[in-house]
Amino acid sequence: MIPASRLQSRLAAAASLLLLAALLLLPRHVESPYALHVLILIFLSTIMGQAWNILGGYTGQYSVGHAAYFGVGAYVTASLLLNRQVAPWVGMWAGAAAVVVVALVIGSICFRLRGPYFVLASIAVTEIIRLTATNLKDLTNGAEGLLATDIPPLKVGATVLTDFGTKVPFYYIALGMAVLTVLATWVVERTKLGYCFQAIREDQDAAHSLGINPAFHKNVALVISAVLTSFAGAFYATYVGFVDPPTTLGLDLSVQIVLICIIGGIGTLPGPVLGACILVPLSEVLRSNAVPELLVKWGWMNGDSGAGLFLKENLAHAHVLIYGILVVLVILFMPEGLVGFFRRITRGRRAA
Amino acid sequence: MDVFLQSLISGILLGGVYALIGTGLTLIFGVMRIINFAHGDIQMVGMYLTYLLFVHLGIDPFVSVLITFPAMFLFGGLLQRVFINRVLDALPQNQILLTIGLGLVMSNTAMLIFTSDYKILTTSYSSGSLKLGGISISQPMAISFLITVAITAALWWFLKKTDTGQAIRATAQDRDAARLMGINVRRMSILAFGLGSALVATAGALISPTYYIYPQVGSAFTLKAFVITVLGGMGSIVGAALGGVLIGIAESLGGAYISAGWKDVVVFAIFLLVLLVKPSGLLGKSAA
Amino acid sequence: MTRSLLALSLVLGLSGPAWAQALKIGVINSMSGPEAPIGENLTNGIKLAEEDLKKQGLQVQIVWEDDTGVPKIAMSAMEKLATREGVTGIVGPYTSACANAVSKLAERYKVPLLVPAAAKEEITRQGLKYVFRMNAPADVYASVLVDAALTMGKPKTVAFIYENTDFGNSTSKTAKEYVAKKGIQVVADESYSKGAQDYRSTLTVIKSKNPDLVFLVSYVADAILLMRQSKEVGLKPQAFLGGGAGYTTAQFAAEKAVSNFVFSCTQWTDDVSWPGAKEFGARYKAKFGKEPTYHAACAYASMMVMADAAKTAKGDKDRTQAALKAGKWNGIMGEVKFEDYAGFNNQNNHTMLVQQLFDGKYETVFPAKFATKKPVFPFPGWK
Repeated sequence: MIPASRLQSRLAAAASLLLLAALLLLPRHVESPYALHVLILIFLSTIMGQAWNILGGYTGQYSVGHAAYFGVGAYVTASLLLNRQVAPWVGMWAGAAAVVVVALVIGSICFRLRGPYFVLASIAVTEIIRLTATNLKDLTNGAEGLLATDIPPLKVGATVLTDFGTKVPFYYIALGMAVLTVLATWVVERTKLGYCFQAIREDQDAAHSLGINPAFHKNVALVISAVLTSFAGAFYATYVGFVDPPTTLGLDLSVQIVLICIIGGIGTLPGPVLGACILVPLSEVLRSNAVPELLVKWGWMNGDSGAGLFLKENLAHAHVLIYGILVVLVILFMPEGLVGFFRRITRGRRAA
Repeated sequence: MDVFLQSLISGILLGGVYALIGTGLTLIFGVMRIINFAHGDIQMVGMYLTYLLFVHLGIDPFVSVLITFPAMFLFGGLLQRVFINRVLDALPQNQILLTIGLGLVMSNTAMLIFTSDYKILTTSYSSGSLKLGGISISQPMAISFLITVAITAALWWFLKKTDTGQAIRATAQDRDAARLMGINVRRMSILAFGLGSALVATAGALISPTYYIYPQVGSAFTLKAFVITVLGGMGSIVGAALGGVLIGIAESLGGAYISAGWKDVVVFAIFLLVLLVKPSGLLGKSAA
Repeated sequence: MTRSLLALSLVLGLSGPAWAQALKIGVINSMSGPEAPIGENLTNGIKLAEEDLKKQGLQVQIVWEDDTGVPKIAMSAMEKLATREGVTGIVGPYTSACANAVSKLAERYKVPLLVPAAAKEEITRQGLKYVFRMNAPADVYASVLVDAALTMGKPKTVAFIYENTDFGNSTSKTAKEYVAKKGIQVVADESYSKGAQDYRSTLTVIKSKNPDLVFLVSYVADAILLMRQSKEVGLKPQAFLGGGAGYTTAQFAAEKAVSNFVFSCTQWTDDVSWPGAKEFGARYKAKFGKEPTYHAACAYASMMVMADAAKTAKGDKDRTQAALKAGKWNGIMGEVKFEDYAGFNNQNNHTMLVQQLFDGKYETVFPAKFATKKPVFPFPGWK
């Protein structure tokens, strides 16, 4: 008789494989570049959220400055592509190398601090990086940003795999990176490294007294998290083709990364995935005015009525407001995020 | 020399406003140990309130402080009672995120109501200045500095000399001990948050004649408020006041001698330096 | 423009209902977010164009997309319009950053893009066939202001103060190149972070350098603050030159105590002798309750031109591109023709104007043939 928890995890694994298969086959059946674009955004958010999760969720170090790693990865990749025609799949490793240095420096500053002070320091450091990038115009082109859109074709030997003319190659690359990031988290969760991380999260001093070196482990977590985030940045720079300081190094981005994890479920494997699947479509749906259009189509609302006009005019602008409301609701009523919420109800049902 | 003196004076006057913002935050942190990310957004609400009072009722911004202070005190108290109270014993990260969420709700609601248009209050003295030697002192900034000094003095007196004030300080010093002494710590939290909100909203009202109002105006001030309170020492009113003035001066001199683009970096660098060298700040007693 | 359109529609009417499907034209604009206040002008300008097109019997379906001022979202919007909505052409985006980001996409999807008001020169310097621009680019902002100053006096030095954004940087960069060519020395170069509230120390430094000209690039809120604080510290150059944007808005003009005698360059005013310009200004004010900025005029003209080209091309994207390239129009923005010159392509060689504020009212002062008043130079000082 297979115990219930093992059955559950086997079901989860099977479901994940099914989902993966579906995602792999999707581009053959879905032509709409817009749909692919939304999925790519979801994958990107998953990567960012999952990467943060390793440091924030498993090790308990809440960095609200992860945009630093994203931005450095994005800028290095874009700069190499634009100025030296270095292909992004090479450039991203240069970005990763740069980010390791940045992460270790930031770690040496911030890890001396605990709790809320760590949070504040992480914000300050990223703001300094953002302002520096904005001011060092010779290096980064400042606020004008870097426009790098000529991606060299991806070749194996003499055969061209893709010239990046459509969204499809980006889709598969993003999907691949997302899967790798999830796998990396899964590995971390199950190895001794992961146990050390979680011990530090629960009680750093107790962990220390048990022989776990907090400084070493926190830095390892940070480096892993930073490198994965920088890959997301490198992908973003290649996909969007344009990087500038407010978008890639801004506080808004750092907050968004944290939100993905919080809403989904911090410190859990499916958490960031869930968070990404909710936040990205939500923002797109709201921005594109699909909700009022649907309501009108279904006849629930008259498009020209006062309420109708108000919604049409304002719902698109309101997506950040809805983010905010979601965050408040989640923190107050579902602090472990949606994953935690689901686990609680399923646990309750089994117990009953 | 002129440049130095002018920058110094401007920095001190600006520092007065910063001091008020920092004092509010330090009070909240001192009593509740919560990092209030919505601090700047509360200031934004205060600024819009000042704007409405000015435009619809013709009340001068400095005079309207008499209305804004109590109104925002109630607003802050309400926020605390309804939302923040519930997470007082939760993980600090959740508290931070809750305040972030509340801030987002506030700023985006303002955007829906008022649109992103910049609102500018122009009073008769908005560009007025007193000339002293070769230095010009901004009239509205000078008035707001004086009002800030008055409010800070009143706050000092309240905290040192009244029973409620001492109860608040006791709660800040040791929450559990205060509870054991019969102090209603829940009520102290509401008071502290209300007071902190009133202070920061008043700071907003004071700079309204010289700045501009828009929904996202809060975010820049929130970050600065943190720098100030850490510099001064989390929980210390005098520290926050001092920290505010110091940051104002640093910013101003940084802008004059380095460049306008780098002055924020100067502020953040000071912040990190303090966190690393003396995290309890200049006058702080409470440890991290 | 109205006359030629009228003639065209008459011809079409006589030849019978050749085709009755609506033309689908996309608009990407900053309708929410920090750029929304100016974005609103573009929206309103396009709405007026929509009315006029309807009056001409042209069936145009406008698909609106909000880029919230963020380049990444502008790109999403472009994707949607090009692939899902199948538009014939797109007018927009508003900001330089967004326009630059979507220009390559427009080329890839072969959708004609008419940029109404973005200044960054690069946008029409990339040799893209499908990207057109209605307004004069950033280099003209600088040259027209400096040329005006040179006709009024003999300034030898200039101080720059500008916001540290794409717009501020690109506009001041070309301005610095131009003044070097004209032998004017740059004595101060200060870029500030948008949203700072205290510029006094920066302005004091500038004052100590005693510049003949002060060249500013900001949006409206900072513009007002900068001028207020300039008055406070007593900065008194021979002229304040405002590089477009904030310095051309009614809100700035209303701050009479600080805006008096400030020069600014603009793509359009309502008292220029371009056909329909005055009427457009009056109509805009009547309908929306405030004066239009040049953005509204640029957007209006862009939509009219795009609709006309799309109609000539019967809704075909490639033919619309050809129609835009070959066409010539004359309307509230004066003569419009997209040409290749001086490294630009598909660029409308638009004449910019310099205006000066007189007690809250804008008067065109340069070039002489469009001037309505003689400029006051040098700056008489603060009252």
